Amino acid sequence: MRNLIALTSREWKAFWYSPIAYVVGGFFLIMQGWVFWLLMAVLNDPRVDPSWRMSQFFFGGTFFYWLAMLVMAPVLTMRTFSEEKRTGTMELLLTAPVSDLQVVVSKFLGAWLSYSALWMSTAIYFFVLRRYTPLDWGPILTGYAGTLLLGAVLIAVGCWASSLTRNQVIAAVVGFVVMLLLFSVGFLETFIRDPETRRLITYLALLEHFQDFSKGVVDTRPIAFYLSLVVAALFLTVRTIGHPRWRL
Amino acid sequence: MSAAIEVTNLTKRYPTLTALDGISFQVQRGEIMGFLGPNGAGKTTTLRILTGLLEPTEGTVRVEGIDVSTHPVDVRRRIGYLPENVSLYPELRVEEYLLYRAAIKGVPRGQRRARLDEVLQRCALGDVRRRIIGRLSKGYRQRVGLSDCLIGHPSILILDEPTVGLDPHQIRQARDLIKELGRQATILLSTHILPEVEMICHRVAIIDKGKIIAVDSPDNLRKAMTGTQVVHVSLRGESTAIEQAVTQLRAIPGLTADVRVPLEEVFIRLTTQETDGKDRSDAVTEPTHA
Repeated sequence: MRNLIALTSREWKAFWYSPIAYVVGGFFLIMQGWVFWLLMAVLNDPRVDPSWRMSQFFFGGTFFYWLAMLVMAPVLTMRTFSEEKRTGTMELLLTAPVSDLQVVVSKFLGAWLSYSALWMSTAIYFFVLRRYTPLDWGPILTGYAGTLLLGAVLIAVGCWASSLTRNQVIAAVVGFVVMLLLFSVGFLETFIRDPETRRLITYLALLEHFQDFSKGVVDTRPIAFYLSLVVAALFLTVRTIGHPRWRL
Repeated sequence: MSAAIEVTNLTKRYPTLTALDGISFQVQRGEIMGFLGPNGAGKTTTLRILTGLLEPTEGTVRVEGIDVSTHPVDVRRRIGYLPENVSLYPELRVEEYLLYRAAIKGVPRGQRRARLDEVLQRCALGDVRRRIIGRLSKGYRQRVGLSDCLIGHPSILILDEPTVGLDPHQIRQARDLIKELGRQATILLSTHILPEVEMICHRVAIIDKGKIIAVDSPDNLRKAMTGTQVVHVSLRGESTAIEQAVTQLRAIPGLTADVRVPLEEVFIRLTTQETDGKDRSDAVTEPTHA
């Protein structure tokens, strides 16, 4: 456990020491700020349905949300293993008295905590908003919870992609493609007749499950689904770096 | 008490080549053992298997009686490893890096500072402790690697070509340091430089093409290995004079002289076993004046 904390804090620091942090962070905050402003403008229009809430659009309700997710996760995770493999520091990391599992989990946690920190900084928007209008905090909290949970899935997938290659660009592209597949598998529903397969497909769709969170509904099924995806991706990563071909 | 390192019938095969072909050797506790061989002989592969970085195809490695393949983390706790190319996180300061390494090596929080000061002093890094690793010279980075090796208080040090890429002055310092460390820890180091082994090691294993061809003390090995010395002499002068000189040379017992046409290059082979330690340098250099 002490090892895990030391490794994770190293990953966290490595992220904030790198220029990527500020490029991604800047891109993210500009985009979220703009989206928030846009939503404010739309929701202030007296013609819109007064039951609409900021949270249901801010979390997953816009194209930009998904764009941010699918761009951010690969970029945040691309360096995790690739950089250490390319520079050779992987050799010293893996000969320290730490298990492969600890290495993988710490890299995942480091990236996920950085991702969470970026997202949590947008909470300030809601504190500003509260000064002008009463807020229902429930859906906002579940919106953040869902975002962090969905992020965990994408970041675990990104870590796996990074463990496959020494090249960060390849890691980001592979990660992006796999995430895109996971994200869009729900779209296949329209093409499939067989009801059983259809049910399976809808069950696997990240997008469908997310709707509940932004509406303030806490359903244990999507939570279990997301967590099992995280575990599966991390397990795959442990197996990958355990394999002689991808070890160094 | 079990040996510090016990390697039995270790084999590592890759799809296209056999890197290690059934090697066995032991390193006793407190010993400095050299692993000598040309590049590509399998030294790095062996050392990487010892640290649990690679898995062997066959064979077992026990470190202080613990099997590497079943308990890799326990084994790594006992080992300080210096890789051939020391790659460190370039953005960290020397101190920061070593404190992080101390933490993952399980040094208790309260002792890390003391350990840090000790290894910095040992490796003469006090002056650069606040410098950023990426801006240090190769020699300093090597020493940071060595400090990292020591910081977890390991009982065994595995050093892969510890003097490669250093300047002569740094090489001497590194060798002195290794000898000094050898008083407290078991050391296994690899090198392709014979004199290095003679200077540092108590015992040597010679490896070539994935096989151990000899294990002995450096003295015995040198006698066996440097049995023949070849001296290459270029001669200038009249051909009759050269021929005469060569004839004289051939008369010396234990010497053979191979002449290459046009009579200006002579290879003189000196077999030391037959010279019973007598200094033949006069006899060898004399004909060059012909």
